[in-house]
Amino acid sequence: MYWVSVVTEAGIFAILALGLDVVWGWAGDFDLMFYGYLALGSYMTMVLTIGKPIPPVQYIIGWRLPYPLALLLAVLVVVALAAVIGAIALRNLREIYFAVTTLSAVTALYLLVENYTPLFDGYNGVYGLINPGQTALNLTYNGYRIVFLAVVLVLLALIYLLVERLSASPFGRMLRSVREDEHAAAAYGRSVFWAKYRAYLFGAALAGLAGGLFAVFISAFNPSAWTPQELLVIYAAILVGGRGNPRGVIAGVFVVYIGFIELTRFLPSPASRPEFGPAMRQILIGLLIILMLKFRPEGLFRERLNVDGRRGRRLGGAGVPASAGEPTGAAAVSGQADAKEPDARERSPQ
Amino acid sequence: MSTFLVSVGIGLATAAILALSAVAFTLEYAVSRVANFAHGELLTIGAYAAYTGQRFFHQNVAAAALVAAVAGCAAGLVMNAALIEQFRGRSAITVFIATLGASLVLQNVLEIIYGAANVSYSFAQGGLHHIGPFLWTTSNIEVILSALAVAGLIYLLLQRTKFGKAVRAVSQNRELAQVSGIPARRVVMGTWALAGAIAGFAGFTLADTIGTFGPQLGFSFLLLTITAAVAGGIGRPYATLGGALLVGLVIQVAGTYTNSAYQLVWAFGLLVLLMLFRPNGLFVRKSATAVRA
Repeated sequence: MYWVSVVTEAGIFAILALGLDVVWGWAGDFDLMFYGYLALGSYMTMVLTIGKPIPPVQYIIGWRLPYPLALLLAVLVVVALAAVIGAIALRNLREIYFAVTTLSAVTALYLLVENYTPLFDGYNGVYGLINPGQTALNLTYNGYRIVFLAVVLVLLALIYLLVERLSASPFGRMLRSVREDEHAAAAYGRSVFWAKYRAYLFGAALAGLAGGLFAVFISAFNPSAWTPQELLVIYAAILVGGRGNPRGVIAGVFVVYIGFIELTRFLPSPASRPEFGPAMRQILIGLLIILMLKFRPEGLFRERLNVDGRRGRRLGGAGVPASAGEPTGAAAVSGQADAKEPDARERSPQ
Repeated sequence: MSTFLVSVGIGLATAAILALSAVAFTLEYAVSRVANFAHGELLTIGAYAAYTGQRFFHQNVAAAALVAAVAGCAAGLVMNAALIEQFRGRSAITVFIATLGASLVLQNVLEIIYGAANVSYSFAQGGLHHIGPFLWTTSNIEVILSALAVAGLIYLLLQRTKFGKAVRAVSQNRELAQVSGIPARRVVMGTWALAGAIAGFAGFTLADTIGTFGPQLGFSFLLLTITAAVAGGIGRPYATLGGALLVGLVIQVAGTYTNSAYQLVWAFGLLVLLMLFRPNGLFVRKSATAVRA
């Protein structure tokens, strides 16, 4: 059962990472708000399914909806919040300004949830979503967990196929051209804001879905479960797997989650220093991010671009033509650039 | 004695610490073109160094402050050499993500060394003083005076010395400064040492003012620092002082009239407004506002 739980968690975070990769990997927006969307999805799923609060516990709504309907509504709420944040942050702000704005937004959300108890009961958080549908399906506890794992993996597979299709679609190519050179893409008639905005909402929807699944996985949710820094693990996973490559992203999440959970089990954690294990884990995540950026920014699996329906052409160095003075947007769309310099796309066109 | 003026007084003390931290942040940005997300950890390192130092120097506040500044200076040098210089020539966002990783590493290294629980100094805060309409503790006054002194010294250093001239040249264009015979690498190193020392000292004053602190001290102060730096205009040391004053006053006054837990929310509201409407800072002439990062 230990492995069932590890793989379930990795599967949920793979869905989250696929969403984040659309925002960061394709559209190029380094979003720090993203874990907030998972949290909101989780909270909303809870308060829509667990019924009225019993004082002194307090939270909003308190309906008893069937789980799938609650999940759908939760995703809609998350997308609504992303629509507001994205409308503000994506309009003019890019790169570091965008990152700082989204970090501010997630910190504000965190402070609000933590301190304003009528919302989600502040620091205590909400709990009580225990295996929705277990009695209806007539399953044992362990049996339910295995079925839930299967549900997560099926969803992950469906989302993977959807994302792969999107990646090869004109929409996916447009996002990449916008990422490589906004001005060139705009000159070719693309609406930069709309492209980024739609990618942002799509990513947030996946985060909300992952949040709803996460609610079932841990059955309780409070502010200690979602410090904004958790998001760095997802970024590390995307960096390891290969930014912009859905298959690589999923591989990266499984490698980082399972690798780190397994590795850190062997770290000594003396009873007098309970913080040692988790702290070491964070240090390793931080080092992993720095080393991947330094030595292999394209990840284990390089970004691929499907051109004219043919599979397997590599994009990798779409930034190269920028230095040659040619509009990159066009290059990314027609896919003529082959991988020459591994980190060419890291360089921003001056 | 009105509540408003008391909160303005506390706001000035906050602004003084913020000014120190934001000036260091902006100096780092000026020479290396990096929004250093691990800047908060320089403050935390300074605070913890003073905590270790007070065991040897007991009630000597000046010695503790010096220890904090020296530790911050060393940390700044190491950060520049081991991290920032390694990523030279890479895009701003890549370096930013790398510093985010470094921040995570440093925070947890400090947690392993000093434990996750909060610690506190044993310095006396001194009595309360009525100065004009304001109400300050002795250490509040010391913080404000030392911030003014540091600001004055930075002004003299940047405007009146050869080193300052070199810093200004490198911050305008590192390559051009290099070919003009300025040892750019050494100037950048020196600037990081200076910024680290200021940040370490700021960390000590912050920890002393708050009372207790943990490994997250600097990280939680980072967003305020960035807000102050953006308000002034990132990379402009003098304007940053004005930005710090504005942010310090806004959060204290707003925090006094609303739940103080939401102080940071006000700062972020201000930050978002600033970035949307004045991304290059408040104190920039209209003609200079066209450029965007």
